[in-house]
Amino acid sequence: MSTSVRTNESVSATPPPIAKAPGWAVSGSPLTAHRSPLLLFEHVSKWYGPVLALNQVTLELTGGITGLVGANGAGKSTLIRLATGQTRPTVGRVTVGGIDAWDWRARLLVGYCPDHDAFYEDMSGREFVHTMARLCGYDRREARRRTEAVLDRVGMSDRADRKLRGYSKGMRQRVKLAQALLHDPDLLVLDEPLSGIDPVGRQEQLELFRSLAAQGKCLLISSHELEELEKLTNHVAVMARGRIAAVGTLQQIRDLMDDFPLSVRVDVDRPRDLARRLLDVPDVIGCDVGGEEGSVVVRATHPRRFYEAFGRLVVEEMIEVRRLEPLDDTAHAILGYLLGGSGKT
Amino acid sequence: MANPTDALLRYRPWRGNLRGPLNGSWAMARVALRLMFRRKLFWALYGLAALIFFFFFYGQYLVVWIQLQTANQTVSLAGLQVRAGDLTRFLDRLALNGSAHTFGNFIWFEGYIGMIVLALAGAVLVGNDFHHGSLPFYLAKPIGRWHYVLGKCLGAAAFVNLLTTIPALVLFVQAGLLYDWKSYYLEHGREFLGILGYGAILTVTLSLLLVATAVWVRRTVPLVMVWAGVFVLCRMLASFLVDGQRLDERWRLIDLWNDLYLVGLWCLGAEWDSVRPVDQPQPWEAAVVIGLVCAACLLYLRRRIQAVEIVQ
Repeated sequence: MSTSVRTNESVSATPPPIAKAPGWAVSGSPLTAHRSPLLLFEHVSKWYGPVLALNQVTLELTGGITGLVGANGAGKSTLIRLATGQTRPTVGRVTVGGIDAWDWRARLLVGYCPDHDAFYEDMSGREFVHTMARLCGYDRREARRRTEAVLDRVGMSDRADRKLRGYSKGMRQRVKLAQALLHDPDLLVLDEPLSGIDPVGRQEQLELFRSLAAQGKCLLISSHELEELEKLTNHVAVMARGRIAAVGTLQQIRDLMDDFPLSVRVDVDRPRDLARRLLDVPDVIGCDVGGEEGSVVVRATHPRRFYEAFGRLVVEEMIEVRRLEPLDDTAHAILGYLLGGSGKT
Repeated sequence: MANPTDALLRYRPWRGNLRGPLNGSWAMARVALRLMFRRKLFWALYGLAALIFFFFFYGQYLVVWIQLQTANQTVSLAGLQVRAGDLTRFLDRLALNGSAHTFGNFIWFEGYIGMIVLALAGAVLVGNDFHHGSLPFYLAKPIGRWHYVLGKCLGAAAFVNLLTTIPALVLFVQAGLLYDWKSYYLEHGREFLGILGYGAILTVTLSLLLVATAVWVRRTVPLVMVWAGVFVLCRMLASFLVDGQRLDERWRLIDLWNDLYLVGLWCLGAEWDSVRPVDQPQPWEAAVVIGLVCAACLLYLRRRIQAVEIVQ
């Protein structure tokens, strides 16, 4: 799976601390070298009347799975609407495969699974997906073939003849996903695709997303289900107040958060000795000994350098480490730091 | 998840040509039609429409039969001897004789039924797309915004034609068969074109008006109220102003249904003196009003389409 995401927040206002991170640009990846970006935002701003929903966003996706996270009102939905040609940017340009996203031809490349599940309730799932296939421009036979294929793929073949009004939330999610897959799009934009799906169904969907990414599709997944998103990908774009606050792997983002030292819990037999030695390591700014028996909580400024130094120390001093647990590099914690809250989205 | 269909899902390369966004519009129209014919609530109205059609169908036959077979015969009615031809005088007003007024009246009645159904179905067909947020499903497919509008208009248009133009053409064919068909079809070419013209005007106006008002008000009750205002209230007001207050006949132009009827009769080549009620504006004036209404709908739709932001 190849993922390349590049962001470049620009001009005016206070730039978010992470988005300018130079380490994240992967412009030399094989995908970017051989084809135009699948999804490209160039200095895009979007106003809804007096409300600035998206502020000078530059973003580039070429493949793989990217999670889109952020608090409510951060601009995720606006970004998705722009990417799928639902709305037009006030300033800037959005292209899909080099075609303006507003142009209907661009949507030949995009599959969209919206978070709304408002259908014609009188239709069966099969009829709905078939109608969507006809909207894609397939003839009757091909539309039927694709309908059956995607329904089977999302596990809805046996229930597709029921009326949509009788569907559960999870079944609706599957039908929505099926219609997004119909025309074999290169870019899949999925808005909350996992909400309302039972745990078994979630695993199936995650597997499906992984297999799609393995086939070379680019997936942009907006979700509040951070744990599930972490299982799927560690590439995320974090949105806050209409800007892309950070983009990259969770580890890269965490590494760049100089203002928030990493906390790591280490369980050893002699915690005080370890704490004393760790305080000599340049990147360690503090250690808390106590709390639970035999544990030290270390706060370090530069995670990567800290881990390297810690590894050397453990080997040289032959320290037996029973447990090593980073306390705040989960998606929740990172988002909490970035968004100034608990990280709950 | 079992993957027996992975081969399918790798999407064997599509070798055909995609049919383009116009095909998508037609797919939407089919869905719209299916939805309208599925609603059991409307079946009573369809039954009424069928009743009107059969009334005209058998009425034409009856009138011809009476004229040819029993016109000079007398029948006993409550002990009185009455000429059979006099018994069908009440049908004269409906002109069940294959003339311009036959088709004009038929389309007027059938169109009214269609108009009621459209007013009731507008929210389902178009309004819900905006109100419940199902528009993204359409607009995320490779069709443009105008294709969406076209698809919805096509659905309404097909429905209007199924209710008006096509049955009127059947009546035209029947009328020819009742008389000398060669001379009838040759001499009544204007009526044939008139049926198509009246149907087209009704189709364009009602479908544009439906989509525009459904996009505007979105829900069934407000939509019915708006249409009742346009087609019933304005009609009553026009009648009050012209027939009651003796104002200028141009006040009838505020009655859009009457305007459609006037232009339809002009298309059918009806004699202007025979148009009821009397004191009617000129057909070109009615055509201008219809044109303005259609232009207003298009302008409104254009504005809405450009601003389809789907903002909740």
